[in-house]
Amino acid sequence: MKRLFQKIPRVLWVLTGLAAFGIARSPVENHLRTELAGAHMLLPPPGQGAFEQMSQSALIGTLGGLRSLVATYLTLEAYEHFSTKSWEDLRQTYQIITNLEPTDESHWVAVIWHIGINATANMELDRKLPRFERERRFKEYAFQAIDLAEKGIKQLPKSAAIRIQLAEVYREKLKDNCATSRVYGETIGLPDAPGYVRRFHGYFMARCPGKEKEAYAYLISLYREGESQHLPTLIKEIKVLEEKLEIPSPQRIPDADPDRPKKAPAKRPNVLPGGIVVP
Amino acid sequence: MSEETSPPTPRAAGKAVPMFSLGRVRTIAGSTVTQLVRMKTFYFLLAFALVVVAVGNFNIPTTPAKELSMIKKVSFGTMDLFAWLFAIVATALLIPRDIEDRTLYTILSKPVRRIEYLFGKLCGVLVVVGTSLLAMYAICAIMIFARENLYISSEYEAMTASGQYSEAEIAQQISLIRQQGLRAELGIAVLASFFKASVVAAVTIFLSTFASSSLFTIIVSILIFLIGHAHTMATNFWLHESNHSIFVQILVKVVRILIPNYQLFSFSEGIVQGEAVVYALVWQMGGLTAGYLLVFLLLSLLIFVDKEF
Repeated sequence: MKRLFQKIPRVLWVLTGLAAFGIARSPVENHLRTELAGAHMLLPPPGQGAFEQMSQSALIGTLGGLRSLVATYLTLEAYEHFSTKSWEDLRQTYQIITNLEPTDESHWVAVIWHIGINATANMELDRKLPRFERERRFKEYAFQAIDLAEKGIKQLPKSAAIRIQLAEVYREKLKDNCATSRVYGETIGLPDAPGYVRRFHGYFMARCPGKEKEAYAYLISLYREGESQHLPTLIKEIKVLEEKLEIPSPQRIPDADPDRPKKAPAKRPNVLPGGIVVP
Repeated sequence: MSEETSPPTPRAAGKAVPMFSLGRVRTIAGSTVTQLVRMKTFYFLLAFALVVVAVGNFNIPTTPAKELSMIKKVSFGTMDLFAWLFAIVATALLIPRDIEDRTLYTILSKPVRRIEYLFGKLCGVLVVVGTSLLAMYAICAIMIFARENLYISSEYEAMTASGQYSEAEIAQQISLIRQQGLRAELGIAVLASFFKASVVAAVTIFLSTFASSSLFTIIVSILIFLIGHAHTMATNFWLHESNHSIFVQILVKVVRILIPNYQLFSFSEGIVQGEAVVYALVWQMGGLTAGYLLVFLLLSLLIFVDKEF
């Protein structure tokens, strides 16, 4: 046996040992990978298209265990681009960041905010560019933000924060009430979704042409939930819809229009006992 | 009155050396630790402390939770980087240095088994890596704790002063900060880095038993480390690009079998991001690490056992 051990080249023994261990550990490692990914302890590889996957593999593979570190460094670099208003560089930097850490919601929210809100605001204010160019870039940035939000939602389907940021772009920049209402509607029921999204869904639906009846039914159902929902904006929107849809008076809500100034109490005349009027 | 002492019997004089002695392993590990400390390894901690303090004082407009998350990511990323890089460089240097200093001849001429020598060296490296990780964790924990308390008190003051928020809303905001603050689970993230560094050290000691130079060992170890991180994800790409050709499938299997899967040991990333720890999985990862150490130590012995110096 000892002679056989000495006759066979040592490299063969080593390779056999390595192969045997590799075959033995393979199912264990596959099981562990699934379990760790299921427990969110191991960050899963981003699941996107093949071309994007290629760059992700290259990035993640090269950086290995350092992707969090590199992503943080790039976040600082992106902040530098924000300070200098280099929006294209900022978008490219965040593209790498979101590829490195696709499951970190805050990166998606930050890039949508930067491109959708800050870059578009900069285009509204930057007088160095001709008006046509500013308007074109404004739209370009707004649509880039929407595109980024869609990618983020694909990665994190249960993210309320990404949808709220997307809704802000539709609401504040594109003034698209129908899309705003749709996005708030998609946010309802998601974990960590704030309570106001239910109302906002209705408010913007009320301003979406053709959706008034649906919006009225929705807002009335919210109103009927109780006192906690009797908020000034909700009452105002219902009042506006009641007028628009010509709802009969008995069916209207009893609350006063919050925007109408309250009647001042009738001033009592300064009459003293005995009928003496004080000027 | 004279006391007679019996001369030593031939059996006692030629007392058989035990197959394995933990005492000898401890001695070699101790000398390895001394050797590494003399290389001024722990000076790295100063650089680490500077990094942590610097990142803790970035004044970028972001939320407290995000800033805490940033401190944690940088600190734990640096710890992980230090752990595996140190494991490679230190392990790659040890055996060649022992040969150069002729310490190896002195050790092996004594009744010391080669497995004890290899195991002692590995233990020495792991003691230094473990101590460094603990020291770095302590520095990082102090910074996180200090910033967390600062953020909590400032947020509490701001929310109370505005008078617009209920106690429940304040508690919710504070719990959001605490979620990214100092938690006991972060210790498991340090353990994850230690597991990874242990496997890296075991692979490097295996390479250094047949490598011709330290440089070769360091380069090959780093390459193996990078491949070990990338192969799981790269596999899908290769297979997709080659339309699942037989040749690529065989190549992928060979790589998977021969190269350790280091990506599996990156489970500290999820913990650092605030995910809950499943302790059963940590135990299983510990078992896998032990398996790697045992197998690579035995493979190293296979080459080192009758190596002539």
